[in-house]
Amino acid sequence: MEIEIQLTDRAIAETILPPGQPGAVGAWLEFRGVVRSEENGRTIRALEYEAYPEMAGREIRRLLQKISARHPCRAAKVIHRVGVIPAGETAIYVGVASPHRGEAIALLAEFMDRLKQDVPIWKRRAIADGARLCAEHQPQRPSNVQAAAAGSATTAALRSLDEARAEIRSRSRPLPAVRASLAEALGRVLRETICAPEDLPPVDRSTRDGYAIHADDASKTFSVVDTIHAADWKPRQLKTGEAVRVATGAALPCKGLRVVMQEHVERDGDKLHVVRRENSTNVRLRSEEVRQGQPLVSAGTKLHAGALAILATVGNVNPLVSPRLRILHFTTGDEIVPPDKTPKPGQIRDSNSILIRGLLQNFPCDVEQGHLPEDFERAKSAISNQQSAIGNADVLLVSGGASVGEKDFTRALLEQLGFGIVFSQINLRPGRPLIFGVNGSRVAFGLPGNPLSHFVCFHFAVATALAGLTGGQPPKFFRGQLAEKLDDKPYPRETLWPARWEWRVGQTFLSASSGDFPVACADNANTGQECPANQQTGMSALHLLAWASSGDITCLAAANALIRVPANCAGLSNGAKVDFLPLAAMIGGGL
Amino acid sequence: MRVLFFAQLKDATGCNAVDLAAASPLNTPQLWTELLQRFPALAAHRPNVRLARNWEYAAPDAIFADNDEVALLPPVSGG
Repeated sequence: MEIEIQLTDRAIAETILPPGQPGAVGAWLEFRGVVRSEENGRTIRALEYEAYPEMAGREIRRLLQKISARHPCRAAKVIHRVGVIPAGETAIYVGVASPHRGEAIALLAEFMDRLKQDVPIWKRRAIADGARLCAEHQPQRPSNVQAAAAGSATTAALRSLDEARAEIRSRSRPLPAVRASLAEALGRVLRETICAPEDLPPVDRSTRDGYAIHADDASKTFSVVDTIHAADWKPRQLKTGEAVRVATGAALPCKGLRVVMQEHVERDGDKLHVVRRENSTNVRLRSEEVRQGQPLVSAGTKLHAGALAILATVGNVNPLVSPRLRILHFTTGDEIVPPDKTPKPGQIRDSNSILIRGLLQNFPCDVEQGHLPEDFERAKSAISNQQSAIGNADVLLVSGGASVGEKDFTRALLEQLGFGIVFSQINLRPGRPLIFGVNGSRVAFGLPGNPLSHFVCFHFAVATALAGLTGGQPPKFFRGQLAEKLDDKPYPRETLWPARWEWRVGQTFLSASSGDFPVACADNANTGQECPANQQTGMSALHLLAWASSGDITCLAAANALIRVPANCAGLSNGAKVDFLPLAAMIGGGL
Repeated sequence: MRVLFFAQLKDATGCNAVDLAAASPLNTPQLWTELLQRFPALAAHRPNVRLARNWEYAAPDAIFADNDEVALLPPVSGG
């Protein structure tokens, strides 16, 4: 049975058409539950409803599927309004299509009974006649719960970029950590803080080839009593006038020594004449670098080559790290052909599969990719063949089918797979029809089909979830300056504008991907502080890339940053301060 | 784990949701013990409250783990 479910805080339309072609079904049975003007003997003006939207949608679907097993029908559409509903207006609409009326009537009657027992929707309070529908009676919108009623296109308040990021962050919890070998741990997030098991260096070591003597031994002539190579361990006390031949890196035989460089002595058999003494002792003292117990690499660090070298140094060869993520990605849409095929008129090549695979390169994960037919029933059966892959995936990504068109079904698909939909639109350009769902510890995204939307949604949304699941740091915005002015018409949604980020020192631009990346910038990236705009340390300069619609793809050749352009912004001047998201995957490093 | 409250339970607890840090997974009585410690006012509602785990009604022997979304649902009244 085809099922459509909406929770909305807007009025339900007066006329709703049955699904499919006119005449396809013999019976289209409609029911409207209307708010009465009387409640417990009082005249009321309105009722306020509240829902647990993620669960209500699933529960409605479950009930319809269960009941339709006994009363088979073609399609059902359920719209429940939430928030303040004035008396006389529809609180619930149910439409059932079936070949004959009997089944539709039976299904509707049973469904309404069960809805009133099981679907988590509540009449929250009655608003008495005479009261104004003022703010106090508006539905209270708990920050991240009620607003998730944004199930339908008709819902008013869309989440902002920041709200969506916070929601994704709070619902992507770290998966259980695992132990991995150092080679396997590369790129994973360290889930324990690694401390120095002993002082580093553990003993005093020579930094020169030469002769170790007591630091305060003023003798001119010494007898050489031993030789210590780099790998030797020969503890002994030195007397006045005694010297030990030592190699660079050798462990000194006792404390309180200095090393005279071999260039500063004359050797005659076992005798040694010191001809010159430097100020430097040429000794790397025990615990000079780090003391036992001092943290070396903190939990939450993405393990890069340098961090792994430290772990190797202290012999921590099986660190506790985030698990390798299992990611399942489906493209959808009958217009998609593989990139090596020539598209017929109306078709396009699939660019999203390789885009997603490439963007995931920065995260240790196993990626499985597939394609789903656009017909919901066929898609369902294709999916049922992959149940185990879906059940095992930590992250499910579905490309396309996320806008509210007739053929779009990502939302229904994710619900079918057991995901609760947290939001299905955000107040952002490009990327508005982004869907986010959760099922236990698993997360799913419906990514709007255009490649630029994919690119944007991956970097701010999917990357945030991946950071959450691994226990790492979410992508972070930095301050920079526009290198040219932005001419844009005021647009009602916030925009993430593709840009090229470079480092500018004076009038010189240094490409972020070249080797000569200045230290000041790395510091800035670590602290999240504003890039100082003076010429000595340089600054982040952002070049705007041209794009006209979310279907544009050419700007991806150069994009390595996304600039936040506020809603209703009529343009920005050259040099304006902006927030931008550097795209580590595009710069080739782990910022 | 994240625990959500709905309808009159929001009034009883004064919040929409709370994060419970549980050292190990909880069974239903253990979950209630934790909740009643923090929100004694829930006691009066307990006989009528149904628990949901990850958007499905929880069985009496359900185990609630750290990654779960738990919801306390008073008797529903939709439609």
